[in-house]
Amino acid sequence: MTPTAPGSAPTAPTVPPGTPVPPGLRAAPPSAPTGPDAADKVVGNSMVRQDWARSTFRVHRSAYRDAAVLHRESDRIWSHTWLYLGHETEIPEPGDFRTRTLGGRPLIFCRDQDGAVHAYLNACPHRGTILCRETEGRTKHFQCFYHAWTFKTSGELAALPDKAGYPADGFADGLALRSVARLAVHEGFVFVSFDPDVPDLLTHLGAAADYLTMTASIGPRGMTTTPGVQSYAVRGNWKLAVENAMDGYHFAPTHNTFVGYLRETGFAVTDDDQYAYDLGDGHGLVVLTGHNGRIGMIWEPRFGESERIRTEQKRAEMAERLGADRAAAVADSSKILYVFPNLLLFDLEALTIRQLEPAEPGATHVRAWQLVEVDEPAETRELRLRTMASFVGPGGLATPDDIEAYEAVQRGIHATSGVGFTGEVDPELDWSDMSRGMADEKAARPGRSIDEGAMRSFWRHWSRVVGEVPGSGPAGTGVSA
Amino acid sequence: MTAQPDLTLDLPTSERTVGRPEVEDFLYREAHLLDTWQLDAWLALFVPGATMEVPTTDNRGWTPAEAGYFVCDDWDLLRARVKRLKSRKAHAENPRSRTHRMVGNVCVVAQEGAELTVGANVVVHRYRDGAAFTYVARYDHRLVVLPDGLRFVLRRAVPVNEAMGPGERLSFIL
Repeated sequence: MTPTAPGSAPTAPTVPPGTPVPPGLRAAPPSAPTGPDAADKVVGNSMVRQDWARSTFRVHRSAYRDAAVLHRESDRIWSHTWLYLGHETEIPEPGDFRTRTLGGRPLIFCRDQDGAVHAYLNACPHRGTILCRETEGRTKHFQCFYHAWTFKTSGELAALPDKAGYPADGFADGLALRSVARLAVHEGFVFVSFDPDVPDLLTHLGAAADYLTMTASIGPRGMTTTPGVQSYAVRGNWKLAVENAMDGYHFAPTHNTFVGYLRETGFAVTDDDQYAYDLGDGHGLVVLTGHNGRIGMIWEPRFGESERIRTEQKRAEMAERLGADRAAAVADSSKILYVFPNLLLFDLEALTIRQLEPAEPGATHVRAWQLVEVDEPAETRELRLRTMASFVGPGGLATPDDIEAYEAVQRGIHATSGVGFTGEVDPELDWSDMSRGMADEKAARPGRSIDEGAMRSFWRHWSRVVGEVPGSGPAGTGVSA
Repeated sequence: MTAQPDLTLDLPTSERTVGRPEVEDFLYREAHLLDTWQLDAWLALFVPGATMEVPTTDNRGWTPAEAGYFVCDDWDLLRARVKRLKSRKAHAENPRSRTHRMVGNVCVVAQEGAELTVGANVVVHRYRDGAAFTYVARYDHRLVVLPDGLRFVLRRAVPVNEAMGPGERLSFIL
């Protein structure tokens, strides 16, 4: 099971009455100002402090800095929770494989000769050598170069050189590639867990599952990733990347130049009447209607005239295929979905899957794939890829400013680590504030996209899963990595 | 293999034979303009309608029409990028990175009339926020020959790095 702090109840989606409920999410009664959280101000550990009376919410900055926190996260989160591994369409044919590191563990993500999807630890059972040293390809076998132990794509032993040197009584029978403990697929999104004792994937995904389904239904013949993976890294804690994605408050000031570019193409960005949602278990959602058009669904001038006509046709096709209400839910708003802990799905003017992989407290590896409609017209495909690249990634016109934000936070939070200005350490200095919209949350009013409610729900879940980390937090030593 | 820019040149071109020294001078001048952040003068090295590309580190010849890229600017976006970088609200480059480019191994790959294909190796050292970053790339450009010099039709920088490491963003012009 997913580790939780003693006494904490499973989190239900908490959309206050009156909130425009996004499709697929049930309205839930407000749960804010009651229960043990209200009493002791501590949610799951002392690094997250909420005060309903004062409508404040703060996160202790050691959560971004301390090696001990990352170590605890590695154990409590990355070793015991479903993680996003990759998309089925990255390995379309039998024998296709990709290698990537997830939760610090090198893996082989592959499709066997019968078409089944696997994830193996990329370490030879013999002596631990990296078994597959390519990043991608197609093969019938994985052969370790060191001593030539060889395995089929289904994981079974194919060859053991000079077998006579081993015990005859079945030594080789037990040899196979070591699979991850659990693997499950939802709408092409492949998740794995290193812990066999986790709830089913759909239980873990909860309210987030239907948003993956919605995105998967945009194309009448499905969706596929494309080649060309953006692989980069930022000098910031992984949780800063999560916050940034759930934070509509930053958009106008941080992306001033991108908003200006859109204005010049004939599109005016607005933040009015848009909302963020707690999907439970750390998952979050921001629904945006004023930030961009949507290729094939909502036209904007930079998409060009021929795309305007195609948009009308495609939107009608979606209504016929999905029904009017469902088509509206899928097509008429952009969505940024966060699936705890490492998946971000940007369903915006075009679509990007982003995977987070912590490397150090202050460094995070990022992989980003473009997600496109199967069999869409070539000119639409090109428009989609070009439009998305103009925004996202380390070379886009917007993401570099987000990266600047994470990196500036990661540098800035060392200023308050274990300091005070009266001769003694002042523990009140070393907190980051996420109170915006807290009074509305308390009063069960809608959580605006430009508030910080989806960040708070992430941090509440994080604090319950991670629990207390000795030496970190306000009572800690202030020693940071 | 890259997509052919849809370019209708409204400029007088020249079919004179271009040698390596002229290409070197062009690329050295470009490097100087970028290292000194003279972005308007840099943009003037392109013909209207030109494009700029930086493929991802796993690219095996895929075009921007079929694959994810770090940068695939058409002419509108290229001008928008320059406008953005000149703004003090381009936070990722305010303050600006210090960059230092070394361009070498310049060669003329082919000339067909006024169209020139050139290659070069480039190392860009970038300094910001107390950290140093090294970008190693291959230039794979298409130029057009004008009576008074050369201009970019397609400016393509192909990273050699296996991935962009921590802090190695492409907020500047690679």
